[in-house]
Amino acid sequence: MQTYKAPLRDMRFVLHELIDAGQLAKLPGFEEATPDMVDSVLEEGAKLCEEVLLPLNRSGDEHGCTYENGVVRTPPGFKEAYKTFVEGGWLAVSATPDHGGQGLPELLSFVFDEMVCATNLGFGVCPLLSKGAMALLETHGSEQLKKLYLPRLADGRWSGTMCLTEPHCGTDLGLIKTKALPTDRGTYRVSGTKIFISAGEHDMSENIVHLVLAKLPNAPSGTRGISLFLVPKLMPKADGAPGARNGVTCSGIEKKMGIHASATCVLNFEDAEGWLVGEPHGGLRVMFTMMNAARLGVGLQGLGIGEIAYQSAVAYAKERRQGRALAGATEPAQPADPIIVHPDVRRMLLTQRALNEGARALGYLVALNIDLARRHPDADKRLECDEFVQLMTPIVKAFFTDCGSLAANLAVQIHGGHGYIREHGMEQLVRDSRIPQIYEGTNGIQALDLVGRKLGQNYGRLLRRFFHPAEAFVADNKDVAGMAEFIEPLAKGLERLRNATLSLAGRAMADPEEAGAAATDYLKLFALVSVGYMWARMAKVALEKRGEADAFYDTKLKTARFYFSRLMPETGSLFATVMGSKKSLMEMTADEF
Amino acid sequence: MAIAKVAVIGSGVMGGAIAAHAANAGAEVVLLDIVPEGGRNRSALAEGAIERMLKTDPAPFMDRRFAKRIRTGNLDDHLNQLKDVDWIIEAVVEKLEIKQALYRKIEGVRRDGSIVSSNTSTIRLVALTEGLPERLRRDFLITHFFNPPRYMRLLELVAGPSTRRDAIEAINHFCDLSLGKGVIEANDTPGFIANRIGTFWIQVALNEALDSGLPIEEADAVLSRPFGIPKTGVFALMDLVGIDLMPLVGRSLYNAVKEGDAFRAIHREAEPVRRMIEGGLIGRKGKGGFYRLAEHDGKKVKEAIDLKSLAYAKARKPRLECVSVARKGGLPALFEHPEPAGGYAWRVMSRTLAYAAALVPEIAGSIQAVDDAMRLGYNWGQGPFELIDKIGPRWFAERLKADGQTVPSLVARAAESGGFYRVEAGRRVALAPTGSYRPIERPKGVLLLADLRLAAKPLLRNRSASLWDIGDGVAALEFHTKMNALDPDILGLMRQSIELIGAKHKALVIYNEGDNFSAGVNLGLALFAINLGAWPMLEDLVKQGQQTFAALRDAPFPVVGAPSGLALGGGCEVLLHCDAVQAHAESYIGLVETGVGLIPGWGGCRAMLARGLGKKGFGGAMPAISKVFETIGLAKVSRSAFEAMELGFLREGDGITANRDRLLSDAKARALALVPGYKPPPAPTFKLPGKTARVALAIAVKGMSITGKVTAHDQVVAKELAFVLSGGDTDTVDQTTDDSLAKLERAAFMRLLREPKTLARMEHTLDTGKPLRN
Repeated sequence: MQTYKAPLRDMRFVLHELIDAGQLAKLPGFEEATPDMVDSVLEEGAKLCEEVLLPLNRSGDEHGCTYENGVVRTPPGFKEAYKTFVEGGWLAVSATPDHGGQGLPELLSFVFDEMVCATNLGFGVCPLLSKGAMALLETHGSEQLKKLYLPRLADGRWSGTMCLTEPHCGTDLGLIKTKALPTDRGTYRVSGTKIFISAGEHDMSENIVHLVLAKLPNAPSGTRGISLFLVPKLMPKADGAPGARNGVTCSGIEKKMGIHASATCVLNFEDAEGWLVGEPHGGLRVMFTMMNAARLGVGLQGLGIGEIAYQSAVAYAKERRQGRALAGATEPAQPADPIIVHPDVRRMLLTQRALNEGARALGYLVALNIDLARRHPDADKRLECDEFVQLMTPIVKAFFTDCGSLAANLAVQIHGGHGYIREHGMEQLVRDSRIPQIYEGTNGIQALDLVGRKLGQNYGRLLRRFFHPAEAFVADNKDVAGMAEFIEPLAKGLERLRNATLSLAGRAMADPEEAGAAATDYLKLFALVSVGYMWARMAKVALEKRGEADAFYDTKLKTARFYFSRLMPETGSLFATVMGSKKSLMEMTADEF
Repeated sequence: MAIAKVAVIGSGVMGGAIAAHAANAGAEVVLLDIVPEGGRNRSALAEGAIERMLKTDPAPFMDRRFAKRIRTGNLDDHLNQLKDVDWIIEAVVEKLEIKQALYRKIEGVRRDGSIVSSNTSTIRLVALTEGLPERLRRDFLITHFFNPPRYMRLLELVAGPSTRRDAIEAINHFCDLSLGKGVIEANDTPGFIANRIGTFWIQVALNEALDSGLPIEEADAVLSRPFGIPKTGVFALMDLVGIDLMPLVGRSLYNAVKEGDAFRAIHREAEPVRRMIEGGLIGRKGKGGFYRLAEHDGKKVKEAIDLKSLAYAKARKPRLECVSVARKGGLPALFEHPEPAGGYAWRVMSRTLAYAAALVPEIAGSIQAVDDAMRLGYNWGQGPFELIDKIGPRWFAERLKADGQTVPSLVARAAESGGFYRVEAGRRVALAPTGSYRPIERPKGVLLLADLRLAAKPLLRNRSASLWDIGDGVAALEFHTKMNALDPDILGLMRQSIELIGAKHKALVIYNEGDNFSAGVNLGLALFAINLGAWPMLEDLVKQGQQTFAALRDAPFPVVGAPSGLALGGGCEVLLHCDAVQAHAESYIGLVETGVGLIPGWGGCRAMLARGLGKKGFGGAMPAISKVFETIGLAKVSRSAFEAMELGFLREGDGITANRDRLLSDAKARALALVPGYKPPPAPTFKLPGKTARVALAIAVKGMSITGKVTAHDQVVAKELAFVLSGGDTDTVDQTTDDSLAKLERAAFMRLLREPKTLARMEHTLDTGKPLRN
């Protein structure tokens, strides 16, 4: 059975004891975001996710969305859940108070998203898109657009979409064909076909706001000729109420592997009226300003899935009795021992757990830096934080979603045949967990982003934001009692990562294919080392605090040990593949495949 | 005949600067001009020229003190001063009557056997000497300098039928060895070599841009880098030279060339250019030119003119696909690219190159003279014939034919026999006008790795450096990284070289043929490693550099450094560890580490200190320490080899070579001279004052910080520098060894590497080439 209790204790540990999220309350505009306030918001959020969203996860998957004559119906119960969700103000936790948002830190919004994605990924897609649309309009929309659209998006009456992909192009957006022709009213007529549009049509909100990439007449070729347009499904009337139908229709929804509760639509734009957002031909840049936040959000989807997979697997492993412990029965009175006694089951559970907790620590640190990068009074500090976010974004997106998928598969494995049948909901997690690895830039693209764009930027300045604090942490703690077992493998991992980086940077300059050949392994190497850095930091806190009545810290140290002795060593094999050449990938001709 | 005393008549831009350069060469110089009307100071023109030149940048003088070598005067009162002069250079206005009148005046006072030359660029020698006495005709030549004479290497030398051979040789010798010029003997034809071709090139480029409507930014982009031509292309070059000169030069060439010359067919006085000149838009010296720098909201914006409307708009940085395809597909791919700039480049370059090919042997006896002239006079990376070789002579000939252009016979010949240049038996040979290939002869005393490369393989080589056998038991170490930046591979090859030479050779020269000897350590690589927190690796690199340079100093054979261009930071430290230096006069040497928030870490501090203390005068160690502190602290860079000597980067016995091509040969000779009985110098030891010196230096820094000259981070850097130069925690009673000072140097360097402001400086310098004053 899908089992989930929001891991509030661990969340609080990361927020308050590890990364000092309380510092946000000192920033202008965040005065209210005190630890107490944060905790109570998260408790409320946890209740909503556990009580409203989780019960709909399996049924939503079974029913899926349905399409008929241009109308899309969400699964039973979703409309009501959406209402509860938006009435609670959960859509606009971090949106600006000027337009109906709560003005709380992004960090808090991300933590909440983790819970939403854990309990109902299909449901979570729509609010995530609205959030993205709000962020984009806040930064790049005209005052007029902001005034009309932001409050309606914030209170959930209207929802948002991102219309990028077309039948012939996804990753390579320079190829898009959708056209926008200027009208004499200062608006544009948008025509073209967009596919894979999540929440492109549904029955939960009264109107839908599409953000559409299209080309103006005589636009430069490639990505430098793309503009962004806001196209409402229903044209707002003078008083703002939704009026006549605009030229956007949904001509079908995709049958797909997972997230059945989220409609993936084909949208046809025929002379749909739209408004330019940002500069002409500046559409991709506008999209990119929210890319870091969006990719981090997808990374947290992976973490959410990983968490529910872990909790469900633990519940099952404790209750399922088969055979005896290898070293002798642990519960002789029972006909068999619970399977959690087996080392291999533990290996799987601890892998899920150590990756989840490590990812949570790193993910929240990155989210914290998003807030610092926006609000910190010191410009140098803002830049530093932003650079850290830029560096870590591809790592969080790709590694967390890979871990989520791994955790879901391990949950199936622990459940055995019961995982493979639908009843327990484990195979749904496997199916749902595949999409975050693909959308918002495939994980392969993330690896290229890291190696091709982030590594060399400003002679490696982004790297400084990770390496210098990590190095300093190692130097400061190598002689601290009890830390050696964590610091030594971390230092070794850092050394491997550093050498791999130097070698890769040199080779990539001479031959970009070398970078491409190493990229995915390099990203994973970087991820394991940065999560290792977070684990060492968590171990430090736990060492200082253990002995308090709470067993939490001792458990934390045990998980840390597992991470360093069982997961961190993979940095050795990754180092070997990164240092190897492209030859074995490239020497075969296409015909030989 | 030796030239020791030179006179220049005419103190305009060219005359003045020629006089300055003669002074640079060590000559005694007389500079005369006419008496200005109505002025009280009858020598105001020549005197004003000296004053102006002391402020000019780039500086005509290699050392300000050389201005004293010039005696100024006027033609009415001081004509007598010409009587003991060896070489009289006329650089007055381009008017035949004025020049001839002047020659007659000179003829009355000059001594027998002195030489007279004109710096004319447009008048033929036959016209200049017409009707003049035979005595003068025998001693008369044209010496055509290019602007600015100190920096442009070309000198076109034209002799008449009566000119004495020994006069030609004396001038050739002086210009080559003392002025450092690349002397090309040209025929007495209109515009000589470089301007004949250059004027044609500029005219075609302008015509075609006007006719095709190609924006000037695109024209300049395509007519520069792809052909190895400076990025000024054509239009920015005209801004530099002065647009007002274009019609004059064009008209003069038009009138001088024969009927049927291709220039006659293309010559035009373009309407837009006429209007620009009328409006004062004559280039950098005017209100603007084809480009101008405009101010918008306090920011300088480069603007480009539209040739049709003559309106300025923000200059675009064209991204031309035809230029990028040329990188892989060569110049034919550029010419055939459908972009307008591709066809434009073909129309301009094909005609220019064909024109050049049709002019040999009319304007010069050999194709290499033409190629040399364009390289040295217009800074082309390759001359016309080298460019045709690069395009492919066969492709070029066929394309000319297809275009309906005449294929010059020399091009047809080259197309048949596989190019204008070839390598035969390890020597470069050139196609002679007669149709045979002849080896390219180098003058005695010219030794080039470029030639050696064709004949031999290096003794040692890795991706950053090579070691060559340059004969007579001498080896030469060559860097070949970008900007010849130092990296671990160079250090590695240095150490290998020291071992190899010890066994097989007598001496080592450190030399290369790049534009710059070395711009210092590879800053980008260093910054990347710093960003990765690779502290042990970085510290090891500092140690490696210290040890390698110490090994150079302690090697059992003489080591001679031979810099030209920049020798900065680590590049300077290499020189500081050599037994002697033979420097090209145009050597810009300095320890610039403080500019990027560091201090010299490869022995620069120690070597400068040892030199300073070595010539200790009164007052103990402190004056020497202060001077080194100032030189390094202010990151002083010499603007010539002479200044480098004043700053202490070169020693008094070190040599200076004026001609770039003679540097290696001179350095080799210097190395061989050191061989008999050579013993390496003992490692220096120091007696340093420690804290007391630091206090004194701190007071000096504080004084400067009050005036605002020193930034917060300068003070951090200065403190570390003072720590090293004062010997750390020592006092004058203790002996400080070189090794222990090396440790201080290293530690201070490593501390500065961790300063965020140092990293910001490094990044800024990498991005902009300028220091960041944080």
